[in-house]
Amino acid sequence: MSKIIELTTPLSEEAISQLKVGDVVTITGYIYTGRDAVLPKIVKAAEEGTLDQLGIDLQGSVIFHTAVSPAGVGPTSSNKVEIECTFEPLSKHGVKMHLGKGAISKETVKALAENNAVFAIIPPVTALLGSQTVEQEIVAFPELGMEAFNRLKVVKYQAIIAAAKGESIYD
Amino acid sequence: MTNIREKVADCLVRAGSTFREDQKEAYRKAIADEANAQSCWVMQQVLDNAIVAEERRSPLCDDTGIPHLFLEVGKNRSVSGEMMQEIMEGVELGLRQLPGRPMAIMGDDNARIDQSGGLNPDSGALKPSPILIKPIDEDVIRLTILMLGGGPAIRGITQRIFHKHNVDVVIEEIVNRATPAVSQLGCSPCVLAVGIGRSQFEATSLMMEAMVYGDFSKQTEFEKKITEKVNEANIGPLGLGGKHSVLATFAKVGPQRASGVRIVALRPCCCFEPRRASVDL
Ligand code: SF4
Repeated sequence: MSKIIELTTPLSEEAISQLKVGDVVTITGYIYTGRDAVLPKIVKAAEEGTLDQLGIDLQGSVIFHTAVSPAGVGPTSSNKVEIECTFEPLSKHGVKMHLGKGAISKETVKALAENNAVFAIIPPVTALLGSQTVEQEIVAFPELGMEAFNRLKVVKYQAIIAAAKGESIYD
Repeated sequence: MTNIREKVADCLVRAGSTFREDQKEAYRKAIADEANAQSCWVMQQVLDNAIVAEERRSPLCDDTGIPHLFLEVGKNRSVSGEMMQEIMEGVELGLRQLPGRPMAIMGDDNARIDQSGGLNPDSGALKPSPILIKPIDEDVIRLTILMLGGGPAIRGITQRIFHKHNVDVVIEEIVNRATPAVSQLGCSPCVLAVGIGRSQFEATSLMMEAMVYGDFSKQTEFEKKITEKVNEANIGPLGLGGKHSVLATFAKVGPQRASGVRIVALRPCCCFEPRRASVDL
């Protein structure tokens, strides 16, 4: 494995275009969290042009598919229908990295490539991620509790690129 | 607060946050023996996570699991209703201390099935599974707590196997069931927990016992064969390939029925499992 690539959010088009399947990256900076309950609502807000009102800026962003509970954070399966169907619209609205786990469909891999976005897998290492999370706050939809849309400030979360440039690690 | 409550609470926190030494060693060995760099990276992350979790006494995974209790009782010891009550209170306290992810679904039978009754925000509201009690020769009352996650529960299978008077037939069928289960689980490398008995209840109880006593450094030929055969599928940690999809098999074979059928309970335990700890009460 080649050396670890250090990424800082917001992610630039150029940084994403250099990533390939199998690269291990570290992610530092602000990232968003959301899973099946909230992500379809974020897509709707993006399509209605109301993200600003919610205080959300998706340009160059990372969305980590996790709940935020007192136990911490950890990836849920990104291939749940309500999550995977958000990859394409959210990428169109500026999300550069979808972070979770599990194999995604060929159509989603292609849609990511068309929008210069990637899918990365993060192991379910809750304690480690807790030690690398320095801030967390609810940004939108607080009524969803653990499944609200959160913003985390993270330091060197490690992940592996699982889909980029139309290729998948599971091919 | 009674001594038993505190001991049980501490045991639960250890179960949810600590790798045992044989478990750490299994990871070290697998990393040293694995040629696939991505697979090594996953296993190193899991091991690093265990070290941080132990230091911080914080959950290994945000799915903190459902507490399953196994009580061993020496022949000169007795367990009272009061002690059982204190054990339950200790579980509640431990879940708040860990802290466990709030996972208690509220409401009547239907509301608990379809999850329409909402979630109790109190980590301590989560009820443990029914307690298993085993008589032993040692002069002790020992409680083991297992924290069982949702992913392996989804992929677990309890079903009969017709043995055809040949152990290899049973091994082959276990491997046939385990291989797709490990692949679909995702949170691997796995440990396969296996119980073989005369009924679904007995097989599952034996599988629990296998998780309670299993040791990565002590593997029978039966266990080794299952591990090796599943690893031939090259699924690898998180499904990224490599020869360490399964780090060990923990099997317990109980008394068997005079018939052609064996009931086999199989659980593909995830990369942190069996999350377990024991305490003498
Ligand atoms: S299967 Fe295990 S590692 Fe994966 S989310 Fe569940 S408890 Fe965590």
